Amino acid sequence: MTPKITIDGQIVPFEPGETVLDVASRLGHAIPSLCHEPRLKPTGACRMCLVEVQGQRRLQPSCAWKAEDGAVVTTRNDRIDTHRRTLLSMYVADHALDADGLPVDQGGTGNRLRTHVKDLGTGPALEPLTAVRRDRDDSNPYVHFDPASCVVCGACVRYCDEVEAVSAISLIDRGRRTTIGTADQQGLLDSSCELCGGCIAVCPTGAMTEKPALGVPRDPEPTRTTCNFCGVGCQVDIHVRDGRISRVTSPPPGTTVNDGNLCVKGRFAMEFVHHPERLTSPMIRVDGELVPTTWDVALQTAARGLLGVKQRHGADALGFVSSSRCTGEENYLMQKLARAAFGTNNCHQCAAT
Amino acid sequence: MKKANADRSAIMEALEHAGGNRPGVARAVGDQTGIPEADVHGVATFYTLLAKPDVQVRVCQGLSCQLEGAARLLEDARLSGARVEAVSCLGQCDRAPAALDEHLEPVLTAPRGGVLPADPSLPIDLGGPDTSAYSALARAMAMGPDAVIAAIRESGLQGRGGAGFPAHVKWSGVRAGEGPRHLVVNADEGEPGTFKDREVMLRRPHKLLEGIAIAAHTVGADTAWIYIRGEFQPCRRALERALVEAKLDLDVRFVDGHGAYICGEETALLEAMEGRRGMPRLKPPFPTVQGLFGRPTLIHNVETLACVPSIVERGGAWFAGLGRGEPGTKLYCISGHVQRPGVYELPLGVTLDELVEVAGGYVGTPKAFSPGGASSGFLPMAHRDVPLAFKPLAALGSMLGSAGVVVLDDTVDMADAARWGQVFFEDETCGQCAPCRIGCSLQRRAVEDYRAHRDPAHLANVEAVHHEMDEGSICGLGMTASMPLLSAMRHFPEDFA
Ligand SMILES: Cc1cc2nc3c(=O)[nH]c(=O)nc-3n(C[C@H](O)[C@H](O)[C@H](O)COP(=O)(O)O)c2cc1C
Ligand code: SF4
Ligand code: SF4
Ligand code: SF4
Ligand code: FES
Repeated sequence: MTPKITIDGQIVPFEPGETVLDVASRLGHAIPSLCHEPRLKPTGACRMCLVEVQGQRRLQPSCAWKAEDGAVVTTRNDRIDTHRRTLLSMYVADHALDADGLPVDQGGTGNRLRTHVKDLGTGPALEPLTAVRRDRDDSNPYVHFDPASCVVCGACVRYCDEVEAVSAISLIDRGRRTTIGTADQQGLLDSSCELCGGCIAVCPTGAMTEKPALGVPRDPEPTRTTCNFCGVGCQVDIHVRDGRISRVTSPPPGTTVNDGNLCVKGRFAMEFVHHPERLTSPMIRVDGELVPTTWDVALQTAARGLLGVKQRHGADALGFVSSSRCTGEENYLMQKLARAAFGTNNCHQCAAT
Repeated sequence: MKKANADRSAIMEALEHAGGNRPGVARAVGDQTGIPEADVHGVATFYTLLAKPDVQVRVCQGLSCQLEGAARLLEDARLSGARVEAVSCLGQCDRAPAALDEHLEPVLTAPRGGVLPADPSLPIDLGGPDTSAYSALARAMAMGPDAVIAAIRESGLQGRGGAGFPAHVKWSGVRAGEGPRHLVVNADEGEPGTFKDREVMLRRPHKLLEGIAIAAHTVGADTAWIYIRGEFQPCRRALERALVEAKLDLDVRFVDGHGAYICGEETALLEAMEGRRGMPRLKPPFPTVQGLFGRPTLIHNVETLACVPSIVERGGAWFAGLGRGEPGTKLYCISGHVQRPGVYELPLGVTLDELVEVAGGYVGTPKAFSPGGASSGFLPMAHRDVPLAFKPLAALGSMLGSAGVVVLDDTVDMADAARWGQVFFEDETCGQCAPCRIGCSLQRRAVEDYRAHRDPAHLANVEAVHHEMDEGSICGLGMTASMPLLSAMRHFPEDFA
């Protein structure tokens, strides 16, 4: 028999291993969360997602509490509302605020704390606390961190360890001073960081943000395309603002081959698109000078040159190297060109070794 | 990610060896152990004894020391030009005000507090001779595990670390789990006002080791680990000496604490032992099921284990009959405004007046007392006749906790007393979960703002914040961290008008 759990009066089957939050989300019962991230082991640290489990005196974190056969769970009542609103008041007292007194939105992934405050409201009005967390001088070009808008949920640290297997960052200091840092607070460039930006992607508050896009709002309708830096085929969402690419994000985890992940190139290396020195038409050398031309002329020129070498020195004087940015199909065509059209086995792809 | 086979638990000692959190140490220890350098830095900055190397004097700012001029001692030490750090309760409340030198040895002039004279009818009998006969261990071996657990059940022994959980339930649970199993002794005594485990280790190390050996043998634990407060060097030496004499057929290992009150919480303690930041785990799973290195683990307070040999020797019914209302005797710590601070073994359930009589009487006119450490808050003298036991104190919204009783006379402003408690919790919260991390700061600010302006408006949200800290925190620290302020406001409204 499939195990069943009762959530807010509804009896639903579940897969063993699912958490209460998983099942409730499937039902469409929104449970607010901050530290929850489906790719990472739950820590239950942010306390946003607490629910009532029958038989348990204390509220329990639905992100970590496994669904059990016959369990009865309530995700919303007066007790839970009071808890959520007071907790939100406390978060707000410890967070960078905008002119409206709401948790700041730095662009990036947005700020779920801000959304929760808007959706659920707050409890007592608490004076803001003075910030005491250590900041870090960091000249890395891509990852910005603002301790004042961090809720210390640790998702970035867990991502860097569990998914990226890099562990460049850690929770540092203790108590009220707890924040995210590196060994001796060196810059990310001096650490093992690969600048993958995954910490940005999992950050619920935008405390970690793309440095080049700091403060730039998200594109509500980004363009889905395939990253062209390598043959893996990661899906990317290109955010455009005023006709220029502002940031690149990954589609949500579980929806595409890259499962929410990107590498430094896919996420950050898009400056070339708008670069003034970018080549926008084929070029050939005329009397030693590069001049723009058409594809027809360029291809004919290349073919003439290659055939000339073959005639003078034989086919094995030629070598063909394709780029790791090519797809499998393109690589196939490249070796076909080398073997069938020119008659040499001298072909290679730069990612083949 | 750590390198394959890297031993995370090795980083504590490596950090200690390298002199704590100095520039470059995280990388060096990371290279040496295979643990990522950022993780090493995260650990090094969590523990106060590692985070701040080169401190020459550590001056206690706990409640009992505050009553005896800890603030002045701190000021004087600072003026002397030494590198000084204000620290949480050092477990020397009986000879307040306390301080430690750079080698973590106590620099105290007053002698240790009193204990009762030798009395063989007491289970622990701090004043008695510490014999190494290990006759109770021999008896336990002869009885077999089932009979030993039955005796523990009959004795009604409740954990002496603060929660009062029935010991036999944990023993049965661990024994039922699959081996290898561990026994962990919680000797991280850090609750302000508490110094009983210190006296057990100094005076009756064999008694404790015998309790450890019986427990390990009964539940089938291969290794016994003693996690001992880093500030308790003399205790560690006493235990090490006794261990050599005892010649036990058991692997007993010591692990030093490095300055973090939260590591007294059993799952934070396990994290520390495994070389991580001492942040409590979510429960369930409980340590009896998944404890040290994921194995079934029996964790007990020092005093709990020290009760075991007498129970085995004289029977559970005998032990149960020693208490009043609740089973057994209890090591009560008493300090503050009394004549002879000390650790007195009395029937569980004596009243404050009875305890203070043993301690030579009150000094001055008593106004308030804290029955069981900072987490228990304060009670007015109107409750001087409540039995100092688990249930009666819980019924008053307080707790017996670690039975670190502190008496405050009528010269004390309860707003001051509340502030000392809130400073303690803000310093010692692990910072993992928001209700406690932010709540501790809010409560401390509330009482400090009130003291500065004497305006009760600053206290308007104390109740609401406490409610959420209790409701939303992961561990017991956050749940009770408002108690000093909340109880003082409740019972001494005149000091907060
Ligand atoms: C914040 C906090 C601090 C604690 N500190 C101690 C301590 O210093 N010593 C101790 O034995 N137990 C302490 N405990 C209780 C332990 O978590 C645990 O319950 C105890 O060690 C179990 O042993 P027992 O059953 O013998 O009491 C603490 C608990 C909390 C929540
Ligand atoms: S950018 Fe990637 S590697 Fe660098 S800290 Fe963030 S998650 Fe870790
Ligand atoms: S930076 Fe973001 S992901 Fe990391 S701990 Fe802070 S809020 Fe969480
Ligand atoms: S309640 Fe406090 S001490 Fe306990 S886990 Fe949360 S932050 Fe840490
Ligand atoms: S989402 Fe469950 S505790 Fe943070």
